[in-house]
Amino acid sequence: MHLAEPANPPSRKAPMVWAIGAAIPWLILAAGQAVWFAISPRLPWVHALAAASTVLGIVVFVVVAPLWRYRVHRWDIDANAVYTRSGWLVQERRIAPISRVQTVDTERGPLDQLFGLANVTVTTASSAGAVRIVALDSDVADRVVAQLTDIAALGGEDAT
Amino acid sequence: MTVHARRVWQRLSPRMLLVHPVHEVLRQIPLLIGSVVLGSATGNPLWTLFGLALVVGYGVARWFTTTYRIDADEVRLRTGVLQRKVLSVPRNRIRSVSTDARLLHRLLGLTVLRVSTGQEARGDAAFALDAVEAAQVPRLRAVLLADSLAPVEETGRELARWQPSWLRYSPLSFTGLAMIAAAFGLVYQAGAGAALQNSQLARSGVEVAERFGVAASLVVAAVVVLVASVVLSVLRSLVTYGNLVLRRDAELLHLEHGLLRVREHTFDMRRLRGGTLREPLLVRLFGGARLDAVMTGVGGAGEASLLLPPCPRATAESVLSGLIARPDVVDGALLAHGPAATRRRWTRALTLPAVLLVAMVALPVPGWLWPVWVVLTVCCALLAVDRSRALGHRVDADWLVARAGSLDRRRDCIAAAGIIGWTVRQTLLQRRAGVATLIAATAAGVKSYRVIDVPAELAWTIAAAASSWVADNAWARS
Repeated sequence: MHLAEPANPPSRKAPMVWAIGAAIPWLILAAGQAVWFAISPRLPWVHALAAASTVLGIVVFVVVAPLWRYRVHRWDIDANAVYTRSGWLVQERRIAPISRVQTVDTERGPLDQLFGLANVTVTTASSAGAVRIVALDSDVADRVVAQLTDIAALGGEDAT
Repeated sequence: MTVHARRVWQRLSPRMLLVHPVHEVLRQIPLLIGSVVLGSATGNPLWTLFGLALVVGYGVARWFTTTYRIDADEVRLRTGVLQRKVLSVPRNRIRSVSTDARLLHRLLGLTVLRVSTGQEARGDAAFALDAVEAAQVPRLRAVLLADSLAPVEETGRELARWQPSWLRYSPLSFTGLAMIAAAFGLVYQAGAGAALQNSQLARSGVEVAERFGVAASLVVAAVVVLVASVVLSVLRSLVTYGNLVLRRDAELLHLEHGLLRVREHTFDMRRLRGGTLREPLLVRLFGGARLDAVMTGVGGAGEASLLLPPCPRATAESVLSGLIARPDVVDGALLAHGPAATRRRWTRALTLPAVLLVAMVALPVPGWLWPVWVVLTVCCALLAVDRSRALGHRVDADWLVARAGSLDRRRDCIAAAGIIGWTVRQTLLQRRAGVATLIAATAAGVKSYRVIDVPAELAWTIAAAASSWVADNAWARS
């Protein structure tokens, strides 16, 4: 047997938010390199090498990774289980039974708040079994949390 | 003493009035040195006495300020001389009770008693009664575990007892080398290195070395270190595990070991979710294995979960099958993971020799490097053979078994009922090879147990065989 892929994609804004989040440290690095070049323009090939690796890093982490992740990330919930797919180079599909859920947390970083996104983390008694549904639209996230807490009957048997 | 009578704040053993000041003096040595300096500088020895009295007084105060009580639903511990702290643990969350007696404690007939819950607790957050009288321990343990366990009759069954022959697995461990390295590091830290450089001893050492030739001296030094490491490893193993006894009393598992520092662990059998047979290469060569418990509320790695130190493989296997009542899980044949997984073991093992080969062809290197390269390549190939032979799994509705590794081979036997989540992970290379790593999440032991490089199309089948809920949902397709 196998499992079909989970159905629901993250928010359409997800790739943009991921790209902005990844762009900030890379742009700081690029600015640093520009300052370095302005202060001491000797050894041009060192500057060229540094600039090339920065450009490569920006292309991979700001352009490729967010689009790739958006194609991979999926989530789904039914009456018995939560099921997600995530990652890009390393991809994970993770399933956890709702009857064993201990907590359902929502978390919004500064960028998420700016763009109206939220991440839902479903924890079980195992630190290796937490299921994260990332980059949902806020209203979807609220619906997911309500649905999960509704089915989960929190505080039941958690296999400790 | 009845349970009712225990519902008052109690103190630790009065003998701690002797131990606490000693511990404080050892801990506050800088302060004491300061007071001695102050005393001799001012010519007034009262300063020294004042410093000592302060430290000893603090130690005594610790005894007066530490109290504990055992109530109907929780145990509480109040500590702290200046900063008060109350630690409370609900009694139905108590998963195991362990005791530990170092030398000073043993001389005074005292024992440290630790209570462990499902939560990870480190340092100050751990519930430890340091210390109570050894005679009180059985009663305290019974009281503490009474809420989560049925009463225990003392007629336990002995599962394993340490044999002198177990020592044959210890000479080849690295603990001896590690101890020597640590000792050297400590001596150098203390400034002995600089002192030694110009000393008579070093000069005569150099002279001796020159007389016998550098190569011979190095060989002699290596042999000395090796012998010392073997002796230290065996001694440490003897002191730590000599007199080890593993006993089972109904629903309790009882482990006791240590010649100088006595350690006792009591595990709740109903929290047992399986076991891990570990066979490090050097132990496996001599037919040995060690056994770890996979248990909720007990840390998965290291000392806390140890059931048997390196011992004959048959002993470890029979103890584990006695505990989980499923001999086929412990030593049954495993399903191999197929050619793709084997290919990946070979690719990984031979990457380093291949890179070295390219480097050695490209760069001018001394000729003696080639035999070294050949030996390295052969070792890597043997590693690949051993690692691909190790890979395997076995699954049914009750148990998941996964085996992997060569230098540190482990066979994890996990109860399916304890698995509360599954992950199928694929790296880019794994997707190209058509394999996946299946990870079972549980609340016990090291929390995640991996079945490495199973054929991708089998991953969910294995998960569904162990957990029926994986097959019983909206996404399952046959």
